[in-house]
Amino acid sequence: MPPSKRNISFVFRRRFSQTVFLLLFFFLFIKTDYSGSDQLEYAVNILFRIDPFLAACVMLAVKGFVSLMLPALGLIILTLLLGRFFCGWVCPMGALIDLFHPLFRSRTKKTDTLYPQLSYTILFFVLAGAFFGLPLAGYLDPFSILVRGLSLSVHPALNQGATSFFTFTYQEAPGFVNAVTEPVYAFLKKTILPFDQKVYSLSLLSAFILFAVFLAELIQRRFFCRNICPLGALLGLNARLGFLKGHGGSNDCKKCRTCRSVCRMGAINEDRHIAMEDCTLCMDCLEKCPRDMITFKYTHSIHPPEPVSITRRAIVASIAGGAILPLFTGSRSLAKTPDPFLIRPPGALPEKKFLRRCVRCGECMKVCIGNALHPTFLEAGIEGMFSPTVRARIGYCEFNCTLCGQVCPTGALQVLQLPAKHIYKIGHAFFDKNRCLPYAKGIPCIVCEEHCPTPDKAIKFNTKIVKNDRGESVEVKQPYIVDNLCIGCGICENKCPLHDKPAVYITSAGEERNSESKLPETTSGYY
Amino acid sequence: MNRREFLRDVMFWSAGLSISIPRLSIAEVFAATPPSPYLAIEKGVDYIKLVEQVLASLGGMNKYVRPGDRVVIKPNIGWDRSPKQAANTNPVVVKALVEHALEAGAAKVLVFDRTCNEKRRCYKNSGIEDALKSLKNRKVRHEHIDNRKFIPVEIKRGKALTRMEIYRDALEADSYINVPVAKHHSLSTLTLGLKNSMGVIGGNRGQMHHNLGQKLADLATVIQPTLTIIDATKILLRNGPQGGNVKDVKRTDTILASTDPVAADAYATTLFGLKPTDIKSTVAAYQLGLGEMDIEKMQILSSTV
Repeated sequence: MPPSKRNISFVFRRRFSQTVFLLLFFFLFIKTDYSGSDQLEYAVNILFRIDPFLAACVMLAVKGFVSLMLPALGLIILTLLLGRFFCGWVCPMGALIDLFHPLFRSRTKKTDTLYPQLSYTILFFVLAGAFFGLPLAGYLDPFSILVRGLSLSVHPALNQGATSFFTFTYQEAPGFVNAVTEPVYAFLKKTILPFDQKVYSLSLLSAFILFAVFLAELIQRRFFCRNICPLGALLGLNARLGFLKGHGGSNDCKKCRTCRSVCRMGAINEDRHIAMEDCTLCMDCLEKCPRDMITFKYTHSIHPPEPVSITRRAIVASIAGGAILPLFTGSRSLAKTPDPFLIRPPGALPEKKFLRRCVRCGECMKVCIGNALHPTFLEAGIEGMFSPTVRARIGYCEFNCTLCGQVCPTGALQVLQLPAKHIYKIGHAFFDKNRCLPYAKGIPCIVCEEHCPTPDKAIKFNTKIVKNDRGESVEVKQPYIVDNLCIGCGICENKCPLHDKPAVYITSAGEERNSESKLPETTSGYY
Repeated sequence: MNRREFLRDVMFWSAGLSISIPRLSIAEVFAATPPSPYLAIEKGVDYIKLVEQVLASLGGMNKYVRPGDRVVIKPNIGWDRSPKQAANTNPVVVKALVEHALEAGAAKVLVFDRTCNEKRRCYKNSGIEDALKSLKNRKVRHEHIDNRKFIPVEIKRGKALTRMEIYRDALEADSYINVPVAKHHSLSTLTLGLKNSMGVIGGNRGQMHHNLGQKLADLATVIQPTLTIIDATKILLRNGPQGGNVKDVKRTDTILASTDPVAADAYATTLFGLKPTDIKSTVAAYQLGLGEMDIEKMQILSSTV
């Protein structure tokens, strides 16, 4: 077989692989949803569990082994054997960046990576931060950025577009058009669209961060992968120690440096040496080299150590930064008065442990069937941004659902079995009697009581005769909460028929994971 | 022009422009309420047979479903609860009714409800989705509520309601069969046929609860089922309307049916040891002339009771 053909087929194979893994990623993304069974059918969170950067952060944070993250070890081993093949052949973020690259014309002709030290600085800073108590991995991990952006923003936007279009055709177009559009809509709903239009807090910010990764292509090809991505940096450090080496130009070659100019990772220097810590084995150089000079081979001998991009001084500085910065979190008011409306999903670990494990992947928010889970902004501190909280006014925690625990890749949310979930207290409901209609207005209501899901209802009522604002005596049922029955699911807050502020709302009071937030006991006599 | 054509044309020519929201008023049937409505009631453990018997007593399904009809069968699928918890209509009853409608020549049988818990969980765990799927008949649809299909309807005879968004499929049905499950409800005391109609309205349903009895009666002036079949095979006595504890469920093995929605509700009340006058919506609907609530004045048809 002539070598040129073989070279083309390498690039073809790489693109094929990228396509397959991207489709697999989208498939699992769509399947991160209720499917008619209480158990998820697929390991939808696998992408996060093969991520050695997240695995390292989580294990450093908990200072122990997290078996959920074991698959990441596989990627480490494969990277030793195959270099950074993951970045070039598998990574869905990388594939999307490559896919959309033609839309962006890079401003710079410079082939060298602009900030070669930056991704390593980030890596060491975040790893040190994880160890010393400042969990920042989710800010920068490519999959967290990607899945969060897609779940919270892109997917709902897609649905918004489709719904608007098909509502227009449904209402305005004649029957023969609808004979085509309605089946198409039904098909899309069955396949790629979300089941319901969901809303999310921080949806625009999540989208902006994701789009920034693509916009950075304007600066430099694969800008994110080369300059920011801490996972790429970690894989690069691995690949550097690996057995696969690329061999570039030699004295025979005519110094055309085509390889250097086509390299999307800036892995080839003036001497046409291929740095394996940067090379993602995209094989473009192999294809473009006019003299077929470039080969990748396994070496048994230990090579003379290649220079690393990062200086020792920068490593020390970033680790020191990661160690010192957590100290400042202790002086925040948040350290003493946690946000009362920060309500974590059922099965969440105690707050400190939870935040250290949570990688902000957005999987729990994507899978949350009731649209209850939303990313926090600053309620959990700046390092807690994008971690999940229940916003019951938007969505409530569905009584018989345990999906969030099932998708959590790190165990920040524990898997709950249904009987345990049924009595798992995430917060507590309170009535605002100044607003609640039977109290404030003498208007019958108790929608909250109707929806309260515990078999022995946590919302009960007293029947009272009160005067309404017309001076008439009316019989109303005035609801109250039975403390030891309320699990804080928030359906009462969600269904409260007042339009603006609900007359019943949940707070984190009494949450099971925090022994300090115990509710006062009515029988004790102290209150 | 029949009602469906009219609706379709109004939708086509005016929808989408906010100034021309179709304001519809449904022609109300002012035919004098027959002096003594028929009420079929059967007891037994074979629920499929009970459905057959009550339909036969009322003259057979052919009387209510004509060949080519678009039939809506509206059970209660409001809650993410299993059949044995008796918060939703028994899937066996729903399935049997769908089969009768098909036998009578229905072109399409639509089964739906606007749920309170998550839609898919309710359809699935009520057992109704699986029961209908087992029929393997393309004429039978169990689609989820589509928000595009709510149409504002004026309620001319309403005392507490003047306007309501109502589901298009319910309005357009040639035959509308209401199949509530009889159960406890703290505010309305019981939820029966009239309350089950809340499953076809849009908007903020919680606000129905303010003066619920009258509002349900008002709603009944525009949602007039061809047939009301009350599933009292298992009834929820406490912690309704969604229950959750099987200890609150009582097996009563009863199904009752009537073309008079008020009579059906009134009689079902007695299964709970209550009087028809205990249910505000029954009284309000009676006062609006929508049906009979005096059990003495009903003609009870039964082979078992």
